Amino acid sequence: MYSKDAGIIAVKERYIQILGILLTVIYGLFVVFLYVAEPRSLEEVTTKAVETVQNAATKGQVITGTYEADQAKFGEGLGAFRKDNFPAARDSFEKADPEKRDAKTQFYMAYSFYRQGWGRVSNDDLMFKRALESLDRVTMLDKDFRSDDPDLKLRTPAELRNELEEGLRVTADDFNPLKVFRERK
Amino acid sequence: MNEIKERSGTVDAELLTADASLLAVGSEGHETPTHRKNALYLRYLLLPCTFLTVALLGGLRIGSLDGSFIFIKPALVCLIFASLLLVLFARSGMIRINGWFSESFTPLKNAANAAVVLSLFAAITQVFNSLIPEQGLTFWIVAFCFFWTLWNNLFADFDTRKLFRSLGGLFGLAFVAKYLVLANLAAPAGRSWYEALTENPGQEAITRLLDLPRFSSATGYIQFFAVTLFLLGLYLLPPTTRPENNSYQEKVERS
Repeated sequence: MYSKDAGIIAVKERYIQILGILLTVIYGLFVVFLYVAEPRSLEEVTTKAVETVQNAATKGQVITGTYEADQAKFGEGLGAFRKDNFPAARDSFEKADPEKRDAKTQFYMAYSFYRQGWGRVSNDDLMFKRALESLDRVTMLDKDFRSDDPDLKLRTPAELRNELEEGLRVTADDFNPLKVFRERK
Repeated sequence: MNEIKERSGTVDAELLTADASLLAVGSEGHETPTHRKNALYLRYLLLPCTFLTVALLGGLRIGSLDGSFIFIKPALVCLIFASLLLVLFARSGMIRINGWFSESFTPLKNAANAAVVLSLFAAITQVFNSLIPEQGLTFWIVAFCFFWTLWNNLFADFDTRKLFRSLGGLFGLAFVAKYLVLANLAAPAGRSWYEALTENPGQEAITRLLDLPRFSSATGYIQFFAVTLFLLGLYLLPPTTRPENNSYQEKVERS
């Protein structure tokens, strides 16, 4: 009788220990999630949980090498880019490539900063600098990147970088009145 | 002669009482399957839940303006204090390391015990996070007091009961200092400069001087619950997870 009881307890002990570990891990992760996501109300807990799961899924894709930019969102961004709606284009590009690991999307991102910052009289330096930051990512992701878009006059990161650096530099040429007739590329 | 009889009678009575108490302890010490099962539920399910609830609530504050949740991550000093307190637990016998981790245990049991100890560590960290003021001069003063007490205790002779009382007193005092004294010194949020200066300039000055955060009074209630839950968890925490073969002896020693 005793040995039978002892056997039951041994099996139960194992199950209770496994259950205890699972409970601790799940509850512990929930506590960590709350402190990382910092929801400000009970309603926000759900929203933050969905965001966290999506981020985790994307990170998982990056780790497993299956990450790809969302083509639908990229298409939306491209449409806005062609209509010169650059903030909307960048919003779509960011959603298409949240991990900033797609060279093509990042090139369009840089180009959108360039086109928005370009001016006949003067350029927006802040936009140009952000374009350079995006271009750095393109070079890091794909050294030989070349765009196949005929709408773009600057097809490679090197050409775009040169244009941006020229725009940022203050030279005597900047005071040439004929500069107002130049074209945006 | 009568005196000797009376004395021998008293001694007999004392011995009988002692035997009876030992027998009672012995019958409690005998492990029935139900007792063991309940002990397992307590150790592996109830205790981690208790400690993790403390870990969840320890850093939670409620904003005074909109009642929003504010989760405050523990400062590094809280982790250091938690480590010191764990060492104190081991020194005082509240936790026997070889009773929780052993080569003679199965890997599963060691892992389950590690989960309980980790949850305990998280709870201690968050209790310090709860009791130490969030910022400013008061943070450093209270943190220094905690450090001083823990460091002194580290070299003192302790038993479990004394440590438990000492912790109760220490945490109680820190709670009163933070959630009664400092909380009442802090000026309410959402007042304009003019209102603050005309209605209660002293309170406003102390708040700004000591850099006191302004939380809702609900924070104090939540933290009171968290600290109480932590002390309850500590009370329920067994010193060892080894089967109680020597429980009779242990209980006699304790009595």
